[in-house]
Amino acid sequence: MTSLTVTDTIITQARLEGRLLLSEVESKNLLVAEGISVTDAQLARDAAEAVSVAESLGYPVVMKIISPDIAHKSDVGGVVVGLTDSDEVKSGYDEMMRKISSVAATAKIEGVSIQSMAKPGIEVIVGATTDPQFGPVMMFGLGGVFVEVLKDVSFRVVPLEPRDAKQMVREIDALPILEGVRGQEGADLQALESLLLSVSELIERRPEIAELDLNPVFAYSDGAIAVDARIVLHSQDGV
Amino acid sequence: MAVDRKRLERALNPKSVVVVGDKGPGYMWLSNMSEYTGALYSVQVDPNEIPGIEEKNIPNFSSVTEVPGEVDLVVCAVPRQIAPIIIGQAIEKQVGGVSMFTSGFAETGEPDAIELQKKIVDACVESGMPLVGPNCMGIYNRELGVKFSNQQEQGSGSDLGVISQSGTHGIGISLGSQRLGMKVGRTISIGNAVVCNESDYIEYLIDDEKSPIVAMYLEGVKDGPRFFSALKKLAQKKPVVIWRGGGTDAGARAAHSHTASLATDTAVWDGMIRQSGAIPTESLEDTLDVLAALVHAPACAGLGTALVAMTGGQSVAITDQFQRAGFDVPELSQKSYDMLGEFFVTIGGSYRNPFDAASTIRSETENLEKILEVLAEDSNIDGGVAIELTTAGFDKEPERLAAQLDLLAEYRTKTNQPVVAMMPEGGAVSGQAEVVLAARTAVSASGFPVYPSFRRGAEALARTQAYWSWRYSL
Repeated sequence: MTSLTVTDTIITQARLEGRLLLSEVESKNLLVAEGISVTDAQLARDAAEAVSVAESLGYPVVMKIISPDIAHKSDVGGVVVGLTDSDEVKSGYDEMMRKISSVAATAKIEGVSIQSMAKPGIEVIVGATTDPQFGPVMMFGLGGVFVEVLKDVSFRVVPLEPRDAKQMVREIDALPILEGVRGQEGADLQALESLLLSVSELIERRPEIAELDLNPVFAYSDGAIAVDARIVLHSQDGV
Repeated sequence: MAVDRKRLERALNPKSVVVVGDKGPGYMWLSNMSEYTGALYSVQVDPNEIPGIEEKNIPNFSSVTEVPGEVDLVVCAVPRQIAPIIIGQAIEKQVGGVSMFTSGFAETGEPDAIELQKKIVDACVESGMPLVGPNCMGIYNRELGVKFSNQQEQGSGSDLGVISQSGTHGIGISLGSQRLGMKVGRTISIGNAVVCNESDYIEYLIDDEKSPIVAMYLEGVKDGPRFFSALKKLAQKKPVVIWRGGGTDAGARAAHSHTASLATDTAVWDGMIRQSGAIPTESLEDTLDVLAALVHAPACAGLGTALVAMTGGQSVAITDQFQRAGFDVPELSQKSYDMLGEFFVTIGGSYRNPFDAASTIRSETENLEKILEVLAEDSNIDGGVAIELTTAGFDKEPERLAAQLDLLAEYRTKTNQPVVAMMPEGGAVSGQAEVVLAARTAVSASGFPVYPSFRRGAEALARTQAYWSWRYSL
């Protein structure tokens, strides 16, 4: 299967179902197919499938709820990290379903995503959206829960040139954190620049994508990987 | 629409101008053209207005089509209902372009006014007529003496070109620049910009010799991607300063993603400007500060500055501001220190860089000359000199300042580095307010960037330095 087909299939499927928001698994499968580094996530529809996916990925794993009706997964108990064996996966699954059926009873549940647990890194956000004036634009910033409060982010118009990616990463106030503070290892800035450039290329290549969040991306001293991903499509009749 | 460049060229550099609908007692538009070097005509049908026009010895006609010879520019100041008729005449006459002062169109939000504007736009687009405006002050061309304010100068030379979405700010940038000793080659007040828009003008300015530097005031743009690409091309060729008004921080739209909710109008605009290479500014004085540094200082990407203040306290203050703005204030070479040690008065003074120099640079200028000679030879200084100039006594002894400026000009020629004059009010070496103002005016007229505070000077120079450093990296 060529990478183009995976992306086409995911986009077509979502549109057939009248959805603009791709699930985490769909978003990640699309990104993997497009050559962007994300933690592998697979859909499991029940506890037994969750265990078999976890076995194939290797422990520890993270489990997240997949539902088009749940935007903030952790708010409803829809994220469990650090599951180390099949028993924990099974009981984690049951517990998650119980919680969600009480706090979000009407939500349509498609299953859970199981993914290998990435080694923690410095959290950054890489995103894209469609500006009404300038069209597709990219964003970079320090990730985590305070991003919308601190607004310490940089924007550039797509397509990015290497110079733009370089500036975006270095323009934020939190740059010293990326460079490493108090003896901590800094982030691989070049890896973040290449990630920005590959997302810019993806956005150019796939004009169907209206919004994209890679949040968080774990930045390491050597490389970077997107741990969560969200893609929103344009409606077919235009922006 | 892509505008016919040749016609736009004629409209912006007109050899003949017809003013339509000017009114007494002031006859503002015809009076503005009192220094115009080309052929000036009037079109006015109101019998009450015609005698005043004839008194000015300006030939008057009852229609644009009756004006003899080629017409490059029609300045239209008629009531809005008449505007489509004048456009019709201009099209028939095949004039270069029309600049429309007339307002009361789409900017009012009224359906009738929007419809009227559409009628005008359609006629212009269909016939390929460049329309400047409507709802604008139109065109200033320094060399030709086409003006929209009688305070605009007529004469040779050109340091910058201006595009402004607001007539007021177009005048403000033009006149403010003039006061700071800069020659504005042209100003285009673009108004509603419905036929010729900001991108058309930017594309024109890319190769315009009258605009070696470009200043812009904009609130929004018609076609974002085209604007971005034109701006990028312009900034790669010449310095561009953009002051944007009316941006909003409101969340762009209801969003599924963090990115979309953070992508406010101003956040995206700021990123786009940085990406283009243009220099963003935030106010009229900010714009003029940066323009003065661009026009009156040589292109220079160096960061090592020499700071010369007149007291110990001011030498600390000026250093704080330059360091905050990103400059280095490096130590000088041992050789420099040896040379300075021979004549510098260190009782109540210091020459480590910053300089505390009042006790050394007194009424004689000889010591300033020596200091500048040392600095010119010191390779640690590659970003120019910022100097606090004494304004006390300028009213009685202006030649002292003039002699200092001669030395500073010599330094600038020798090193090709900026020399920035700092003339704050209320400092230990400052005269009374009116004396400071007169002294600043003299320094501007001699072609130096002058700032009323260390902070404004440091920030303006830092932004021009960043621009040149970016340009050299391309």
